[in-house]
Amino acid sequence: MASAELNAALHRHYLRNQRWGFFWALCTAVLWGAWYIPGTAVWYEEPFISIDQNDHGLRLAATAVMTWIHAIMVLLFLLLWNGMLGKIADFGRTIVRFRRISKWYALASLCGGPMAIFGSYMAMGYVGPVFAAITSLFYPVVGALLARLWYQEKISASAALGMAIIIMGGVVIYGPALFGEADFRDNYAWLGYLGGVMAAVGWGAEGAVAARAMDVSDPDVGIQCRFSFECLFWGLLVLPLIYLLTELPLGSLIWVMITDKMILIWMLLASIAHAYCYTAFYKSFSLIGVGRGEAIGNLHGVFAVLFVMAFTLQLPAWYFLVGLTLTVIGSFVMFREPAESVAELREAET
Amino acid sequence: MKLPHKGFLLQQLSQVPSYWDYQLIPLALTEYQVQGLYWINHFSIALDELAAAGLINRISERIDDGTAIASGRLLFEYSLSRFGRQRMHDTGLLPEGVE
Repeated sequence: MASAELNAALHRHYLRNQRWGFFWALCTAVLWGAWYIPGTAVWYEEPFISIDQNDHGLRLAATAVMTWIHAIMVLLFLLLWNGMLGKIADFGRTIVRFRRISKWYALASLCGGPMAIFGSYMAMGYVGPVFAAITSLFYPVVGALLARLWYQEKISASAALGMAIIIMGGVVIYGPALFGEADFRDNYAWLGYLGGVMAAVGWGAEGAVAARAMDVSDPDVGIQCRFSFECLFWGLLVLPLIYLLTELPLGSLIWVMITDKMILIWMLLASIAHAYCYTAFYKSFSLIGVGRGEAIGNLHGVFAVLFVMAFTLQLPAWYFLVGLTLTVIGSFVMFREPAESVAELREAET
Repeated sequence: MKLPHKGFLLQQLSQVPSYWDYQLIPLALTEYQVQGLYWINHFSIALDELAAAGLINRISERIDDGTAIASGRLLFEYSLSRFGRQRMHDTGLLPEGVE
């Protein structure tokens, strides 16, 4: 009787952890989807809307400034979050151990920030936004493979199947539009394809690299370390280099971003969504693993389309419903795994 | 400077064959000068995460009869895994040469 009671309590415990893990991953997907609305809207404000499509230098400089200010705002919201949770001191204790611990968060910020975002921008600019969205959907495969090869994260058959179905769903959502977008005669298209690969590898590697540091540190603290490094990277390296090597108007871009009311509102909304999207993302890794966390996070494609639909009142095409069904089925296939198998994420020796 | 929370939990576990969570968590509460159910649950979650990542093993479990933390609460006994010890070396939580 006592043993039955204990077994039931154990099952409830593992089930609760599994549910929290999937809940955080789902929050990631919802907030990531929501982020596209203010993240896109800011490009429709002056002076960004007036930047010529072919003025690649200015577009890249604007993106760099935008990403830096975005990272600073995200960091402020994370400070608020960790302040409320009482984890600021632990953040200090973690970030100062750079050589052994927080360097992994610095590397994660390079993978997720400059590599993936810059790659995504290249994919958008040289092939098209739909191609960029599709290539980024493959990042859980990269993340799961890296986590598997690097530190033996277990990928069960149902997790792999669920992951494949979710990715297929994403491809169905965006796929048909890709045929109207890809232009294989374009000499610069290879830059876009390279960017697509950079996005998938960058975001996939970010999860695996960050999880390496989260072995010995708190996920809430970890995400604050990651954004601290991203702020430093853009502010102390990339932007000064652009300033020294080009004549692009960085100063006026920064000034307009921090003084224009509408740009500030969009940036604040994007930063809130991104700050807590990333917090949820990192929290899910430590409970359900990088592979599952990233795959459920991939549902952001569905939520992005739903949010766009809500704001523009434009109904999506029929194939969106097919893709939506596939991604939801894929999520349930993953969620059907026994909670006990999710409780031990790695094949570690005792 | 004090260790990050998870580092402290690992370091304590590296010094003994095993610890029950109700023995280990009070050490952390004292180290970081915090108290209350919020922090007890915070360190319990940290132990859950360490176990899921394979750094520590759950070697036994029992239900609290009211003498440990709270009646009916599930309690775990943890030990450091070989992988956990290796990760402690990787992250400087165990000095070079210490096994």
